[in-house]
Amino acid sequence: MKEPLLGAFKAPKDGKHMLGALQSIHLPMRRFKDDEEVDYAIVGVGSAGGVLLQRLARAGFNVVGLEAGPFWDTERDWVSDEAGSHNLYWTEPRVTGGSDPLALGANNCGKGVGGGSVHWASFTPRLHPSDFEVYTRDGVGVDWPIDYADIKPYYEQLELEMPVAGPAYYPWGHPHGYAYGPHPMGGVGNALIKGCTALNIPVSIGGPVAILSGSHGDRPHCIYRGFCIQGCKVGAKASTLITHVPDALRKGAEIRDLCMVWRIELGKDGRVRGVHYFDGKGESHFQRAKAVILCGYAIETPRLLLNSACSRHENGLANSSGVLGHYLMAQAGNVIMGRFDQPVRMYKAPPAHALTEEFYETDPKNDFARGYAIQTVGPLPQAFGKQMLASKRAWGWGLRREMMDYNHWAAFGLLGEILPWDDNRVTLAEDKDRFGLRVAHVNFNLRDNDKKLIKAGKEKTKQVMQAAGATEIVQEGRYAHLVGGCRMGSDSRSSVVDKFGRSHDVANLFVCDGSLFPTQGSANPGLTIQALAARTADYLISQGDRIFTSNDRDMTNPPIRPELAPPETWGKGVPRLK
Amino acid sequence: MKPNFPAVESSLLPRDPTTLEALPPKQQPGYYPGFSTLSQSAFWDDATRQVVDTRVKQPPSRKFFSPEAWAFWTAVFAHLVPQTDRTPDRQIPLVPMLDDRLAANRTVGYRFEDMPQDRVVYEIGIDAINREAEHRHGGEFLVLSSRHRDEVLKAIEQGTPEAAPEIWKKMSVKRFWQIIMTDAIDAYYAHPWAWDEIGFGGPAYPRAYTRLERGEPEPWEVEEKRYDWLPPVTAVSGEVDGTDTDDQSHHGSGGTH
Repeated sequence: MKEPLLGAFKAPKDGKHMLGALQSIHLPMRRFKDDEEVDYAIVGVGSAGGVLLQRLARAGFNVVGLEAGPFWDTERDWVSDEAGSHNLYWTEPRVTGGSDPLALGANNCGKGVGGGSVHWASFTPRLHPSDFEVYTRDGVGVDWPIDYADIKPYYEQLELEMPVAGPAYYPWGHPHGYAYGPHPMGGVGNALIKGCTALNIPVSIGGPVAILSGSHGDRPHCIYRGFCIQGCKVGAKASTLITHVPDALRKGAEIRDLCMVWRIELGKDGRVRGVHYFDGKGESHFQRAKAVILCGYAIETPRLLLNSACSRHENGLANSSGVLGHYLMAQAGNVIMGRFDQPVRMYKAPPAHALTEEFYETDPKNDFARGYAIQTVGPLPQAFGKQMLASKRAWGWGLRREMMDYNHWAAFGLLGEILPWDDNRVTLAEDKDRFGLRVAHVNFNLRDNDKKLIKAGKEKTKQVMQAAGATEIVQEGRYAHLVGGCRMGSDSRSSVVDKFGRSHDVANLFVCDGSLFPTQGSANPGLTIQALAARTADYLISQGDRIFTSNDRDMTNPPIRPELAPPETWGKGVPRLK
Repeated sequence: MKPNFPAVESSLLPRDPTTLEALPPKQQPGYYPGFSTLSQSAFWDDATRQVVDTRVKQPPSRKFFSPEAWAFWTAVFAHLVPQTDRTPDRQIPLVPMLDDRLAANRTVGYRFEDMPQDRVVYEIGIDAINREAEHRHGGEFLVLSSRHRDEVLKAIEQGTPEAAPEIWKKMSVKRFWQIIMTDAIDAYYAHPWAWDEIGFGGPAYPRAYTRLERGEPEPWEVEEKRYDWLPPVTAVSGEVDGTDTDDQSHHGSGGTH
């Protein structure tokens, strides 16, 4: 059979804007007038920006999201192809350096509506209770200004809004279960189960991942095609593009895509007046706003604040502490690859489908603080080729030979906690981008604790791979995720924003993205970023107009507002959890 | 524009490990005879079909490189990812993809602080390789034998070039190697003929993969049929080294977390 039964698959031609295989929205959306003052201008419609936009619109605020990248139509713009997915990533120029320079771009930065949640592998573990007090417990890093109890209801809520598939009982951190069933195993997951089981290490099977294991509204279940990080055309993998943006637009939010915010303007009263941005044609505009929320992630948010320096804020806007851009973190993301005699075909199934957090916490037997997780990954051919180059120095005929064995390899990802260090930071480089704006320079150095942790994590992961039956094991050094750079804290001398993401210096300026994290644990940050966004939204909503008029700072925790979740995700539909 | 490869001598072909005789070039090397991802394209979505179809039928024509630079890099890339085991009609264009990238100034989204811009890398890289070729074998890269070309590149791969120190002060040898290899890998393994060679199933939306475990093929995939082969007698790139070097790859995307 060479043809599909119902003919070749064609994209819908009726002008619908597709968000996954079945879900569509009707454009045009609301458009605020150029000179209109909105309540909230949100800079960056990614993991956090998408959730905030939805919540604030549903609560009745006038809100506009300014997004540097395009508003994706998933059927027309995305492809099942590595090389064709280049434009999902933030590929504007940046400079990276230090003793252990970070790869940026496709590794950890998104562009376009949905941001990084478009190309995340979508592992969604929660942080552990210990993550919020690593300084108190271990004397390293810093404590968060909130604790696990503060964020727990938001974890529960976002796990339903995405929703997350996973086991009914998840044993690590604060034990919990998932309402949507776990996914079937692919070859890599089976290797992880076999290796962990042989070594008596508990392993979580089939999640937690923000990928549908059963259909949900207009979103079909996963078809195991393996192109998760090239953007899920199916609409099974959660991204805010398909989980929150449709509801935001229905409730009157505006998204202005291809708009690059380049400066935040401060008024004489010390409050933010709005943002300057370049539109898709390169023309400059000013959007007035009663309050501004930055959701540009751990590099672009600090860069924008640094580029917004002005009198009274000479070292960058909202930087009286001097820590803006500092304490940037990435997680150790070494990939350990094992060759098996029997074929694996690791391109099938989502890259993310099994993990263990057995080594997450500080273990007094170790010579380092904190820990790591071990997760499945599933590199496709281009990525695997570069891994063979890095791990086996393969080139020429050696590369051709290794690649012919692609189907015999399985890959595990180490996810290790690297601590926050003052000199791991974002500054402005001399290089300029196409708008003439100074680009970010990222400095990254590992310290002793980080190196010891990575060494131990690599060894453990290799042991698991060996126990799984691999006959050859190699590894590639790399890093995953980015957080920190605008960390939250109670002390305005050592943090950029307070526990709700509000600038210590400017009362109507907020940060809400991964840059808030004071420490990072060894959980993938996506779920926590969205949970913090929902919490910030509840705070803003509970404060009402006071955000727009007053410099007073009410630090009372807001009540959770589950009724503001997108329809059919909370208290309705299946599962019916309250 | 069609890639221009010289006629193949037997010393440039992979060999049979028993007889040590050259193996004739094939339409499809690799262990999956008869497997064709393109034969399944009716099962792909429109956008994917279009992107892959264009890649196969219309490789980009020269826009950035001078004719001399184009010829130079074509010769270098023929050693980074050699294709003499493929029949000329089934060789995968590599430098056209690179040229297209540089013409659009498309990058990975960052540069290392010890590296110039990518366009400069491919400009001064020509001089660096030629100087090493002169130093080792008394002539520019393009006049050297295949063996000597491999040796020049091996010196750079090992991080031990002996000529042109002032160029290597401007860019890290290691990262230069990563960049040119990354471009070669990105071009070769983006092509459906390479997917067929390594048994990668390729696009599977909207159809899905259904046999996820034990490395089983889909009904439209094929079982592996291995054969032994040795690299060409003139090649020095056949060896690999899996010692734990902690080398970071230059990529960031694929299948990661």
